[in-house]
Amino acid sequence: MRERDGGEVRATATGPGRALIAVYGIFALSATARGGVQIAERFGEAPLAYSLSALAGIVYILATIGLAGTGPGFRRLAWAAVVFELIGVLTVGTFTVFVPSDFPQDTVWSYYGIGYAFIPLVLPFVGLWWLRRTGRAR
Amino acid sequence: MIGALVLVSTVVLAAVAVFGLVTTALNRPPDRWHRIGVGAAEVLLVVQALIATYQVLLGGVTLPEQTTFLIYLVVSVCVMPIALQFATAEPSRWGGTVIAAGAIGTLVAVLRLQGLWVPGA
Repeated sequence: MRERDGGEVRATATGPGRALIAVYGIFALSATARGGVQIAERFGEAPLAYSLSALAGIVYILATIGLAGTGPGFRRLAWAAVVFELIGVLTVGTFTVFVPSDFPQDTVWSYYGIGYAFIPLVLPFVGLWWLRRTGRAR
Repeated sequence: MIGALVLVSTVVLAAVAVFGLVTTALNRPPDRWHRIGVGAAEVLLVVQALIATYQVLLGGVTLPEQTTFLIYLVVSVCVMPIALQFATAEPSRWGGTVIAAGAIGTLVAVLRLQGLWVPGA
C-alpha cells in the first residue's frame, strides 16, 4: 500500500491536481522565458541572479513534468523538484531581504516572490500537500 | 498595440477567469461556454499580436525591450489554447480552474505587454 507499490496511489494529474499543474506550467513558461531573455541580453549585469532565474525556470519545468506524469518515477521527480523549489524560494527570499544589493528584483524567488503575488512561496507548500495526499493509499 | 483591444481582451480574460472559477464552485465540468469564452479571448489576442508584430517588425515602431516584448506576445497567444486542451482532457469540475489559471496568466502577460509598449523611448 506504499507509494512504490504503484497503482494503489492516486495519480497527481487528476482533479485539483490539474489546476496545480496549470499554475506550475505557467510559472515554468514565464520563469524560463524571463531567465532566457536575461541571459541572452544582459548576462554580465547580474550573472548570479540571472542564472538563478533560469534555474528556477528549469525547476518549474521539472515539477510540471513530474506532477503531470503518472508512476513512481514521475512522483519522485515531482518530490525532488518541489522540495528544491521550496528551499530555493526560502533561501533566495531570505537572502534578498538581508542582502538586497546582491540580488536585483529580477528573479522569481526574490523577496519570496513579491513580484509574482507571493505565488512562488505558496506553490511549493500546495505541491507538497498534494503529493502527500495523493501518495497515500486510497 | 491598440489600446481598445488591450482593454477588451483584459475584460474578456477576467470574465473567462471568473466564469471558470464559478463552474468549479458549482461542480460543473467545462462546456461549450468555456470554449466560446476562450475562443473569443483568443481571437482578440491573435489580432492584437498580429498588429503589434507588424508595428514592431515592419511598421517602424522601436521599443526599448523589443525581444522581451515579442516573447510576451508569443506567450499571450499560446497559453489559452493549451489551457483549454488540458482543461477538457479530463472532464471534471477542475477544468474551469485550469482555464481560470490560464486566463489570469495571459492577463498578466497582456498587462506586461502594455507596460513594455513604449514606442520611440
